[in-house]
Amino acid sequence: MTMKWIGRIAEGLVGAVFFWAGFLKLLDPQAFASSILTYEVFGYQVAVICALVVPYLEILTGVCLILGVLKSGSRLVAFGMLVVFVLLLAQAAIRGLDADCGCFGERSGAESGYAWPIARDALMLVGLAFGLVFERLTRDTET
Amino acid sequence: MKTVKEGLIILAISVVSGAVAFFVHPKAPSFSAGDLELELEQIDDLGPVFWVDARSDEYFERGHLDGAISLNVERWEELLLGFLDSWPPDMTVVIYCSSQACLRSHEVAERLQDELGVEEIYVLKGGWERLLEAGRVSEG
Repeated sequence: MTMKWIGRIAEGLVGAVFFWAGFLKLLDPQAFASSILTYEVFGYQVAVICALVVPYLEILTGVCLILGVLKSGSRLVAFGMLVVFVLLLAQAAIRGLDADCGCFGERSGAESGYAWPIARDALMLVGLAFGLVFERLTRDTET
Repeated sequence: MKTVKEGLIILAISVVSGAVAFFVHPKAPSFSAGDLELELEQIDDLGPVFWVDARSDEYFERGHLDGAISLNVERWEELLLGFLDSWPPDMTVVIYCSSQACLRSHEVAERLQDELGVEEIYVLKGGWERLLEAGRVSEG
């Protein structure tokens, strides 16, 4: 039972971070599009689409993770987003770009470099893994 | 299979919400603005153009392209008068801001199109950084 709750709390925290990040991005999609362009990976139109869709994707994923609805799907989407975020940050670091993280809306994280945003995403991946592993363990114990 | 299905549901709802936001969000970026972008070499081929600096006053004062006038979103009303005084209506307008990631130039271009009906208008791809790279300006 305790193991199950550790997993739920870990996943809920990951969900809360997603929700907050999405909410801040949603306030100013133009600023977020601008941040996406600093990664120099996407063209203008793709950046605009991402700036419009990603905030909702994060909010929805966050809500699902917190409430435990569409659980496996939200885990998959969260995992996918985190992997993409880490890859984007890593390529920017390797190329020596002065990218604006954009992780929590406009001009967030640029000054702190890439280490913390990458570490935070990695921590969130660990949180997701906790949720999945503890749920499996609980299920195995119960059966 | 269930996982993928649920993931697709989340993705579909997000795409629909994003599409709605495109039409109703006051700060939604524009799709068509990207079509206005031209490389510096393409702008050179246009012949003489009227340069507009869309960066903030602070950056404009630090340095700007020779002949460029300042027109930014912060002081739109005031600076627009200056633009109208100096822009020959038959001249192509090219706008730049600080870098490829900056969207101010796109916003200024759209407003000039919407409010004044300027037709021959472009945005310099790469902005100030591209001008620096090409040696057209020096670090301000």
